Amino acid sequence: MEKYSEEQLLARLRDPKTQREAFATLVAEYSERLYWQIRKMVLSHEDSNDILQEVFIKAWTNIDNFRGESKLTTWLYRIAINESITFLNKKRTQNNISVDDENSFLLSRLEGDQYFNGDEAQKLLQRAILTLPDKQRLVFQMKYFDEMKYEEMSEILSTSVGALKASYHHAVKKIENFLTDSN
Amino acid sequence: MNKLSEIDKSNPFTVPEDYFSRLNEQIMNCLPEKEAIEPQKVTMWDRVKPWIYMAAMFLGFFFAIQFLTKETGNHAGAGQTAINFTDDYWSTVQISEEEFYQYLEEQLVRDGYYDYIYNQFYMN
Repeated sequence: MEKYSEEQLLARLRDPKTQREAFATLVAEYSERLYWQIRKMVLSHEDSNDILQEVFIKAWTNIDNFRGESKLTTWLYRIAINESITFLNKKRTQNNISVDDENSFLLSRLEGDQYFNGDEAQKLLQRAILTLPDKQRLVFQMKYFDEMKYEEMSEILSTSVGALKASYHHAVKKIENFLTDSN
Repeated sequence: MNKLSEIDKSNPFTVPEDYFSRLNEQIMNCLPEKEAIEPQKVTMWDRVKPWIYMAAMFLGFFFAIQFLTKETGNHAGAGQTAINFTDDYWSTVQISEEEFYQYLEEQLVRDGYYDYIYNQFYMN
């Protein structure tokens, strides 16, 4: 598949004649990264797959309104994060889950998922991560696992770098405490 | 003892076999078809319409301003004439206000006298 710069890709996405082909390039470029972002949020493979499709359908239907004020990556990440949080909130409402039970709800999904190969320590880490609020969890995962730069995270999450650093620092502290208490 | 740094950082999640090799095709297949938007035909009238509207607006303004300036000009002219007239009149009059009233009174008395004489000699 031909490689295009962001500007070239945008121009092709805006042209009805090349739009679908250019979108295929976009999907090929970002689908895997977005899948892992979603997977870390919702944990289950099946749900991640459904959400990813929804993300690209949303991107496809709204691509004509994308004005290029942010990078395509940032825009796609935002859609993916919004869709993931919306999905989690919907599940919580559907199952009438209180804030206290949030962890068990996601933990049960993790334990029931055949596509989780982590050892006991990794499972414990996932349990620790699940004690964090959604946005803090997101910050921790983006920084700790994906090693994303704060500046990039700031654009995606529309939060200042300072706030993100503080959030990550608190998240690490909470996780460390959880891990210590679990032993 | 488990500490964050001691836990394997590698990704514990897996995906079904060949998942990513089929993913892009699967995503592209579920995209809805977009309706081709027919470009609207632009007629001559559509092109000149804004210019005609603008010209009409300017003409309206022009006539409104013409009408208003004419009206206020007329009023101003009449007022100016009256002022000039009274100014001219009083500039030639060399009497005081008191003398003016005295004159009017004498005129009235005189008129009254003439009326009396007229009535005495001609009406009887």
